[in-house]
Amino acid sequence: MKKVLALLMVSMLLLAACSSGSSNGTESKKDSETNEITAWAWDKNFNIKALELAKEGYASENPDLKVNIIENAQDDIVQKLNTSLSSGTTKGLPNIVLIEDYNAKSFLQAYPDMFHPLTGSYETDDFVQYKVEATSVDGENYGLPFDTGVTGLYVRTDYLAEAGYTVEDLQNIDWKEYIEIGKKVKEATGKRLLTYDPSDLGILRTMIQSAGKWYVKADGTTPDLADNDALKLSFEIYKELVDNDLMNFHSDWNQFLATFNGGEVATVTTGNWITPSIKAEASQSGKWAVVPHPSLPGMESVNASNLGGASWYVLNVPGKEQAVDFLTKTFGSNVDLYQKLVNEIGAIGTYIPATEGEAYQTEDEFFGGQTIISDFSKWAEEIPQVNYGMHTYAIEDILVVAMQKYLDGQDLDKVLEEAQQQVETQIK
Amino acid sequence: MRIILNRFKHNSLFYKMFFITILIIVTVSTLITWTTFRMSEKFFIDRFSLNNSKVMAQIKESLGTFQYSIVIASNNLMNNGTIKSFLTGEHSNVMLGTYYYNVKKQMANIKTSVEAYDVSILVYGINGISYATDRPSWAASDEALHNHFITTNTLRQPKKLLFHLEQQRNQKQNDRSIVASKAFMEPTSKYIYGFMYFTIQEKDFRKFYSSYTSLGNNVLVMDQSGTILSSNRNEFIGKKEPELLKYATKLEEQQIDYMDADFKGKDHLIMVEYLPTFDLYLVNLIDKKAAFANIIDKKSIVLICILFIFLAIIIVFFASRGLTNSLSNLVKQIGNTPKNDFDHYIPVTGTYETRQIGLAFNSMLDELHEYVNKLVLVQKQKRNAELAALQQQINPHFLYNTLTSIKFMVQQGGKEEAAETVNALISLLQNTIGNISETITVRQEIDNLKSYVLINQKRYGERIRVNYFIEPECFEIQIPKLILQPFIENSFFHGFNKKNGGTINVLVWKEGATLICEVLDNGDGMEASADNKLPITKRKQAMFSGIGVRNVDERIQLIYGEAYGVTISSKIGEGTKVRISLPVQKN
Repeated sequence: MKKVLALLMVSMLLLAACSSGSSNGTESKKDSETNEITAWAWDKNFNIKALELAKEGYASENPDLKVNIIENAQDDIVQKLNTSLSSGTTKGLPNIVLIEDYNAKSFLQAYPDMFHPLTGSYETDDFVQYKVEATSVDGENYGLPFDTGVTGLYVRTDYLAEAGYTVEDLQNIDWKEYIEIGKKVKEATGKRLLTYDPSDLGILRTMIQSAGKWYVKADGTTPDLADNDALKLSFEIYKELVDNDLMNFHSDWNQFLATFNGGEVATVTTGNWITPSIKAEASQSGKWAVVPHPSLPGMESVNASNLGGASWYVLNVPGKEQAVDFLTKTFGSNVDLYQKLVNEIGAIGTYIPATEGEAYQTEDEFFGGQTIISDFSKWAEEIPQVNYGMHTYAIEDILVVAMQKYLDGQDLDKVLEEAQQQVETQIK
Repeated sequence: MRIILNRFKHNSLFYKMFFITILIIVTVSTLITWTTFRMSEKFFIDRFSLNNSKVMAQIKESLGTFQYSIVIASNNLMNNGTIKSFLTGEHSNVMLGTYYYNVKKQMANIKTSVEAYDVSILVYGINGISYATDRPSWAASDEALHNHFITTNTLRQPKKLLFHLEQQRNQKQNDRSIVASKAFMEPTSKYIYGFMYFTIQEKDFRKFYSSYTSLGNNVLVMDQSGTILSSNRNEFIGKKEPELLKYATKLEEQQIDYMDADFKGKDHLIMVEYLPTFDLYLVNLIDKKAAFANIIDKKSIVLICILFIFLAIIIVFFASRGLTNSLSNLVKQIGNTPKNDFDHYIPVTGTYETRQIGLAFNSMLDELHEYVNKLVLVQKQKRNAELAALQQQINPHFLYNTLTSIKFMVQQGGKEEAAETVNALISLLQNTIGNISETITVRQEIDNLKSYVLINQKRYGERIRVNYFIEPECFEIQIPKLILQPFIENSFFHGFNKKNGGTINVLVWKEGATLICEVLDNGDGMEASADNKLPITKRKQAMFSGIGVRNVDERIQLIYGEAYGVTISSKIGEGTKVRISLPVQKN
């Protein structure tokens, strides 16, 4: 009897113990043979959507691989990468990360070991060359090009017509011709030629890249301001636009959209990613056209340039093989995916074979039946490749000040000389 | 059914005990569980209110820091000449470009004070020009800004830093922001030249307190009109809750830490902290059920309780069954003991108590036995003595009658006859009175019979003849005295009242261990009574001794037991047969 009682007691204790502590879950352990990769990107409607389309396409290739897509603000991604990489750890970092081309070099040069080289894993000749350059360091390719920031000149055909111009008159013009047209248009319609944020020098970047120049020399580190003819000419053109009151000013993105959606300016010169915003004002359908970006007059310059754009990078963390496989089989070679990207999110890739696809040949009624995707793709291939270097935004901050000085009437050479010195001391 | 009822009856002690124990266990467990719930809830409420008032103080402090940074920024904006000239007067396009550049630079400086928070600064001048560090969606166009309720509100109270909730209804849920607004006012002339707006996304504002919230533990920020500006619960935001405002003012007035109140039909614990610089209430709304239900896992406690009760009941069942079983067995045994079967002893088992009861019962049975045996013995002896006395007693009438007969014989000259009769009388008296032993041999009894028959034949004539058929080996067998004589006597005096004469046959033989004596007559016979007993004779004076036919049976049974005795069968007109059975006993 005593034994039976003791047994009962023990079983009661056991039961009580069991009922309380059974929730300690199992911890899944990840190893190098992981079947899960993570990708970081910004912009839910653009980059994230592109990733999702890629994931969809990849599911038929390798259904076992789980792709986690995580949205982070671009600044957060930059910050997290900087924090983790500078402390020498890749813990908590994703397998795939999207980096803006202007920023890419600063990471690739500072932490080359942390990134997994993609050289040879995809056909670089299939991509537009300026993107390949932007994703490479020391002959080693680290990134898979994604969207192009190929620029175009969006023009209001109705305003041009008022001033007696047709779209044909604007094909492959240079900035001088552009300003002259602008003057006429303003006379005829009272509308300024274009609008810009005085603290954003994106317009300068497009100008100098069309001439194959950048803020730095081809090595990516030596500042190239004072003796940069293209830059000097760009400054002069900018001032001329301002002085002739052809430049409207806005202070933020919303004002920017409001200006051209409200019909306040005759043209918009920027990257192709503005297309959805232009088309947002449905009442202006048929009144727009896209012509090639103006070139710099009097020097070797093409009617094509770039503004923005980003590429995919693979970090040197477990699962990199899977990540590379994912990227090369989607963005690296899938023509259909690029058709979808165009159709569903209006993203123009830099994969040349894709331009033969049907989606690229679609005529856009908003732009008077122009095949703008195809045009942009064509121009993208012409963009001169430059080495963006590591310091694009740092230099630009200094140039914004220089521009104001120049607009205030200071001597351009002096202004650029000062800027050159300032940059040299700052980015050493 | 009957069996169950019987079982129940036999085990009623067990069932009573068992059910009472169950009742007590269940009641006690329920009470303890309930009390535990109440106490722990009370404890948690106390802890919660203590903790949460600390948390509220912390939130208040961080909100204060936040507000201070906005105040600094607003002061800087107010004192900034560039911004003032930007917001006043007309600007040409070229100038505007320069202004944008310069204002951006100034703003970058001013923004440093609110850098820690995701706050966007928007300034809007009376000249219709605005500048935003990060233009919020609610102020998409200058026109919208001009007509916005925040602008009109700010114009009404230009000196105050006002907090508003701005909801973009047509868009997604998360597009809500908290806007702090103030007017640009010249200190001396009170001239209002613009407005400043500090916009923080509601979901960012929430970060001040959201880490302290949990399921059922909600925080909300409410303005003086009862409108909820911010909450960790989306559904509250933008709603007007006058009920809550009433509680808040009450708590604030009475300076109480917390109160229990009914909110939206649920029991809530409400704590309120007034933020004077914001002119807002910080409300901590704790849904008791949701918050505490999670802490105390009532379900599993109740389940564990039930399990323990169940186990306890099983233990109680077996334990009390063990205890009461011996008792109820004992009761059953005792109950089964028949009224006159004192030999039925009960087994001594079970606990000490039941064993003692069993022993006591058994020893009581022993004593009873002994007593009854004694009593039977005494009764027997008494009866024996009585019978012995009766058989010593020779009826005086018999002697008197016999002697009278002898006198007549002598007078008539029958000397021989008289002597014979006297001898028979002597032998009869000798054997009955003289012999003190209780039993005599068959031979002696037959002699007695012969003497008695002789005396009677002398007196009443020889119309009744008596024959003796005795098995020779039976002569020495011992039998009680005067055992046949009463039947002979009976036949003589009652058997031949109608018939004039007849025969009486006396037969004695042995059947195994039994001695059979039969007295047969061929007289009148009689109505056989149901119990085979002889009718009571009234003629006492005719009897030889105190022993009558009725006593014989009684005597035999007293001496030899119930296996022996007298049986009588009779038919009217044919005669009577008396059969006596006795054990064979020899000296």
